Amino acid sequence: MLLLLAAAALGTPRADEPALAVVVNPGVEVDELSFAELRKIMLGDRQFWTSGQRITLIVRAPVADERTAMLESIYRMSEAQFRQYWIAKVFRAEATSGPRVVVSNDEAVDLVGVIEGGIAVVALSDVPEGIKVLRIDGKMPREPGYLGE
Amino acid sequence: MRGVRHILISAALLATMGAATSAHDGDAASDADQPTRPELDIGGFIDLNYYASDESRADSSSGFDEGQFVLHFVSVLSKRINFFGEVSLSGTDSEFKTELERAIVKFEASDYYRFSVGRFHTPINWWNTAFHHGQWLQTTVSRPEMTRFGGQFIPVHYVGAIVDGAIPSGAAGLRYAAGVGNGRGENIARGGDDGDVNNNRATFLKVAAKPDRAYGLEVGASLYRDKITVSTLPEEYDEDLVSAYVVWNREDPEIIAEYATIDRKGATTGTEFDHDAWYVQFAYRLPFWGSKLKPYARFEEIDVDLADPVFTAQPNREGYLAGVRIDVSVFAAIKLEYRHQRTNQDPYVDSAYAQVAIAF
Repeated sequence: MLLLLAAAALGTPRADEPALAVVVNPGVEVDELSFAELRKIMLGDRQFWTSGQRITLIVRAPVADERTAMLESIYRMSEAQFRQYWIAKVFRAEATSGPRVVVSNDEAVDLVGVIEGGIAVVALSDVPEGIKVLRIDGKMPREPGYLGE
Repeated sequence: MRGVRHILISAALLATMGAATSAHDGDAASDADQPTRPELDIGGFIDLNYYASDESRADSSSGFDEGQFVLHFVSVLSKRINFFGEVSLSGTDSEFKTELERAIVKFEASDYYRFSVGRFHTPINWWNTAFHHGQWLQTTVSRPEMTRFGGQFIPVHYVGAIVDGAIPSGAAGLRYAAGVGNGRGENIARGGDDGDVNNNRATFLKVAAKPDRAYGLEVGASLYRDKITVSTLPEEYDEDLVSAYVVWNREDPEIIAEYATIDRKGATTGTEFDHDAWYVQFAYRLPFWGSKLKPYARFEEIDVDLADPVFTAQPNREGYLAGVRIDVSVFAAIKLEYRHQRTNQDPYVDSAYAQVAIAF
C-alpha cells in the first residue's frame, strides 16, 4: 500500500501543482527570454548573459515537483537522463559542473538573490517581492504556454 | 611562406589569449572571491567485459577484459579560466598502461569565443568527443571502428590550440571550432605529444548546428588538413580528411550517422590514396520497465586502400552489431552485444560481449 501511495505521489502531475516562475539575480540585465534561449541556458549550451556575466544554474533536488515539471517542460528528459546529460557535459569539457542543487524554493530564491548571473525555476507562490521574474516568449507565469512551446 | 604562416598563427594565438583573459576586467576584482586554492572535482568511468568469439586465433578467443579505468579532473581556476584533465589506465599483457588522454586549459571570453590549449580529443567528428573513453556514456559496448581505441583512421588526439564557440545565428544554433596543432606524429595514431614531427602544423575547421526547432538534432561537418612524416617511409604525405555527421540525440530514438573520407597524396611522387569510413547506429529506449532497456544496432564499414604505406595497422572492416543496454541504476549499465564482422577478405567472425560500465 505504501508503495502504491508513493507511486501515486511521484506519478502524474497533480492538478494543484504550483505554477512555475523563472527567476534571475537582480543584476541580470535581461527581462525576457525566448523559450529556445531558456532551454539553451538550462542545457548549459549558453553559459554567459549578454552583459558577460557567467550564468549559474540553480535547480531543485530530485522528487521536488518543480524539478519534475522543469525536466518535462524544458529538458524533456527523465531524472536519469538529466543526470547522465550533465556527467556527459562535464566529461566533454563543455561545462565545469552541473547545476547547483537546492532543497527548497526558499533556498533557490536566496541563492539567486546573491549569486551573480544566477537563474532558477521555482514555484511562483514562493517568489518573494523584489525578485526578478523573467517573461518567457512574452508570457508571465500562470499564462498558458509560459514554459512550453 | 611558412614564416608568414607562423607569424599569422602566433599573432592569432596571442590575440585570442589576450581577448580571452582581458575581455572582462571586472573579473580580476571578483577573483578575490575565489578560494585560496583551486578546487578540484574528480569523476571517472570503468568498464569490465566478457567476450567470446568463433575466431580461430592463436591468442584468446574468450575471457574477461578489464577495459579502461578512466579518471577525469575539473578545476575552476577563475570565472573564465578552467582546467580539464583525463588519465586512463589500460590493461596489457605485462602492465597497466597509463596515458594522459586530455589536458586542457580553457579561457572563456564569452559563448562566442573560447580559447583552449592542450591535448584534446580531436573535435572533427561526433563520437570522438562525445563519448571516447566513457564507455558508460555510449550506448554500445565499444566505439565504431573509425574511432577505434588505438586506431589510425581518425587522428583521435590533437595537441595544440583550439578556438570554439557559438555563431550568432538565431534559431539555427550554429557553432564553430578551429584549431592548429602538431597533427599526426611518427606513430600516426598519436598526436605529436613530444613536438611536431615535421614542423608543419595540422589545422582543422568544424561547423555544427543544433537547430531550435528540432530539439535533439545536431549536424556537423569538418575539414582536417595535415602533413604526415614517418621516418621509415621514403616520402611525406599531404592529408585532407573531410567528415560529416548527423545525430538525433534523444533516446526515443537515438540515431547517429557519421562519414569520413581521407585523401592522402605523396608529396614527392603525387601518388594518391583514398579511404572512406562510415557507420550508422540506431537505438531506442523502451518506455516500459522503468525505461531501463535500450536495444540498439550499428552497421559500419571502413574501406581503405591497402597499398597506402601510411596505414600500417588499419585494415578494411565491415559488419554489424546488435545488443541491448540495461540501465540497472542511474550510474551503472549492463550491455549485451552480438557482432558479425570481418577484416579485409577474411571470413566473418561472430562474437558476443557482455559489459558492465559505470560512472563514479
